[in-house]
Amino acid sequence: MSGPALWSRAAAVAAALALASCDLPGRPGPEPEVLRPEQVLDFATLYSQNCAGCHGAAGKGGAAVSLADPVYLAYADDATVRRVTANGVAHTLMPAFAQSAGGMLTDKQIDVLVRGIRGWAGAAAPGGIKPPAYTAAAPGDAARGAAAYQTFCARCHGPDGKGGSGGHSIVDGSFLALISDQGLRTAVVTGVPGRDAPDWRSDAPGRPMTEQEVTDVVAWLASQRTQFPGQPYPSLNTTHGGKQ
Amino acid sequence: MRLLKALGEWLDFRLKLGEGIRDAATHPIPKSSASWWYVFGSAALTVFGIQVVTGILLAIVYVPTAAQAWSSLQVLNHDPTLGWFLRAMHGWASNFMVALVLIHMLQVFLFGAYKFPRELTWIIGVFLLLMTLGMAFTGQVLRFDQDAYWGIGIGASITGRVPVIGGALVHLLLGGPIIGGDTLSRFFALHVFIIPGLLIGLVSLHLLMVLKLGINEWPMPGRIVRRETYLKEYEQLTHEGVPFVPDAIWKDLVFGASIVAAIAVCAAVLGPFGPGGQPDPTIIQAAPRPDFFFLWLFSLLSLLPPQMETPVLLLMPPVAILILLLVPVLSGEGEKHWKKRPVAVLTVLVAAVALGSFTHLARSTPWSPAMSAWSGAPVPISELKGRSALERRGALVFQAKQCRNCHALGGAGGMRGPALDEVALRLTSDQLIRQVLQGGGNMPAYGKNLSPAETTALVSYLETLKPEGRPPAHDASQP
Amino acid sequence: MSETQQPTRRTMLTRLGILLNAGIGAVLAVPVVSYILSPLRGKNGKPYNQWVRLGPLEQFPEGETRLATFRNPVVRPWDGQTADIPCWVRRIEGEQFQVFAINCAHLGCPVRWFAASGLFMCPCHGGVYYADGSRASGPPERGLFEYEHKVEDGQLAILAGQLPTLAAENRTARRKTCDC
Repeated sequence: MSGPALWSRAAAVAAALALASCDLPGRPGPEPEVLRPEQVLDFATLYSQNCAGCHGAAGKGGAAVSLADPVYLAYADDATVRRVTANGVAHTLMPAFAQSAGGMLTDKQIDVLVRGIRGWAGAAAPGGIKPPAYTAAAPGDAARGAAAYQTFCARCHGPDGKGGSGGHSIVDGSFLALISDQGLRTAVVTGVPGRDAPDWRSDAPGRPMTEQEVTDVVAWLASQRTQFPGQPYPSLNTTHGGKQ
Repeated sequence: MRLLKALGEWLDFRLKLGEGIRDAATHPIPKSSASWWYVFGSAALTVFGIQVVTGILLAIVYVPTAAQAWSSLQVLNHDPTLGWFLRAMHGWASNFMVALVLIHMLQVFLFGAYKFPRELTWIIGVFLLLMTLGMAFTGQVLRFDQDAYWGIGIGASITGRVPVIGGALVHLLLGGPIIGGDTLSRFFALHVFIIPGLLIGLVSLHLLMVLKLGINEWPMPGRIVRRETYLKEYEQLTHEGVPFVPDAIWKDLVFGASIVAAIAVCAAVLGPFGPGGQPDPTIIQAAPRPDFFFLWLFSLLSLLPPQMETPVLLLMPPVAILILLLVPVLSGEGEKHWKKRPVAVLTVLVAAVALGSFTHLARSTPWSPAMSAWSGAPVPISELKGRSALERRGALVFQAKQCRNCHALGGAGGMRGPALDEVALRLTSDQLIRQVLQGGGNMPAYGKNLSPAETTALVSYLETLKPEGRPPAHDASQP
Repeated sequence: MSETQQPTRRTMLTRLGILLNAGIGAVLAVPVVSYILSPLRGKNGKPYNQWVRLGPLEQFPEGETRLATFRNPVVRPWDGQTADIPCWVRRIEGEQFQVFAINCAHLGCPVRWFAASGLFMCPCHGGVYYADGSRASGPPERGLFEYEHKVEDGQLAILAGQLPTLAAENRTARRKTCDC
């Protein structure tokens, strides 16, 4: 490099420093580079770090409940979403996230999550019909549930629930052991968005399931639980039987 | 002008420095040494100068206490005019200095410049390298953030492995029982007084020896160094040589200025380093990483077999230093040119490839679990498509039981264990069950933490993980 | 050579002067060295390890492992947040506890508890431990460091105060054998 070129470069740097000390790309932003974990209050960040793994990016397409599903949001109220997020659901795969329950998030962060998830809700209830209540008013009746099952579910899941033309087995012992009655209720009401399982409205041509029918089908499914689920060989066989 | 000259003469009459400086400046050097290859040492010295100046400027504001250091760095980044730029200069110059010292050392090694009579210059140079690395490490500590905090913890853990006196050494290193105020004060004293003081002293000695012994001549294949004849040969070369000023120094000046400009540009464009998260040990979400020049060590510590770790950690540094110190003693004579020194060249290549690959590995840290992959990395939609209720539960088990922290799906997740996108091609369901429950091959056993239903769901999900249309794994022992 | 045979008064005095300086230097080395070595002896005359309370037992549900933090018993006023030390408390049942250091037994990085899989994982070099602190996989040679603990006045107390390392003299850390 020749002398003049060097000098002009140095002068350019000096001028840049003097004039544009606020515009230089290297200047750190006003916030510390790394926030304390409890200071992270951005919904997108919190959701993508804590929830996306199971519930899917943006609340859709995950293995667990689709939180962005308008049916789900009409069905579960804020208190429910908050309670489940904070304390988890015992004996299921939903862990607790609140520090008070052994998780890593503060109450404030849980609030941000609940508000953000709620923010995914569109207008009011989908299609104008109010979904069944989140919790069953009274215990269901398995016998009536079996009948309701035949009406609404057997078409796809087969006459005994072990899978049929359009659906997989939903009476597998291991599956039923890993989902709570409440989880079953949620599955019946919301269906599985993005897949073929419809929500409670369209299970049969003509009319949605009634509140009582939902409760009863859940009771019937719960009655299919086995005492020792997941004994590998028989159970695996049923699973394979259910697959097409 | 005449006044200036008079002042100069007045001063020199009393200081008696002029003649020495003139001699040093005009001392003849071999013609071949006025080369672009001989500029790294002087550039390293220039960068050291930058470090002294920027370091003093930072010390005007920096508060070396455990409670306040991090906040004072925030202040430095935001409040004093261009404080962030000076921090950035200091940080970038540190990287440049380590790099320049290493390049300088490499050049000296490959040019055989450490041979007779310059053995001691090399030995002092080895200490200068160690001090430069010491400055880099203590500097990282003064940037008192999470990485610094846990970095000291790693240092203490290594020290604690010393037999018998390990515990005492840990207390001396930390200045107390825990990483705290006393620790930072100690590292401040090291970074600001002790090591720079030694550096200044040894650099002066190093320079003085270059002047007294003369700069190394450009090596020629076949020109052998012998104790009996070398001095005479060198004298002959300088006799036909050129004065250092101005024939050689302009290259040093141009290169030095370019390096300074490069540091300034890096600082202005890329900004200062950190500080990262607050040095609060109760923030356990930390995933500490060392600075660039120590990444290779980070890899090494992860990849060594556990039993070898303590011996390697405790013996490797002294052995490596000893080897470096012994280089001129063992090969003080002989060929200087790299073309005639295959072992030397090979050693450099092996060391460079090893350090390079370790550093590269440390950038992706395949051995670390991805701590939030289980809750943060979505199961790829394609790997949920068409799965049964049970298999979808299995995918949930896979996430909830933190399998994802070590096993990637769709390219996301930990890399500690193998990616499982095609696991069904490799393992049958029986093999999967056994691997999950018993662990093995560096995988923990999950037997106690999975119910039979969870295991069944998980394995039936894993069995679906294979490309469409390919047959699943087959147990060779079964018909 | 004649000087050595016949020391003059001046060379004699020079030697005496050197000797005097060496003597003074040796005396001054005592405070310097003992000052430098003072971290070996505890602070303010107190031993490093003391009983500290982690909180009431109700804070730790049975069958769970929770994070607890305590103020280090020996602190300087300018230690700030570095003297807040976390640890993992596992309440097995009743008054049966295990209290683990946060520091990985490999190189001291902070291990994190994952309740669902019942594992501690280290973010640095991938050490993994089971719920009882025993080594599961990765580079550590042993299980997690454990603090001695006791229950007093309905509170859980641990004997703590030092950064746990492999150094043998560290009494807070007891070797844990793998029960796998």
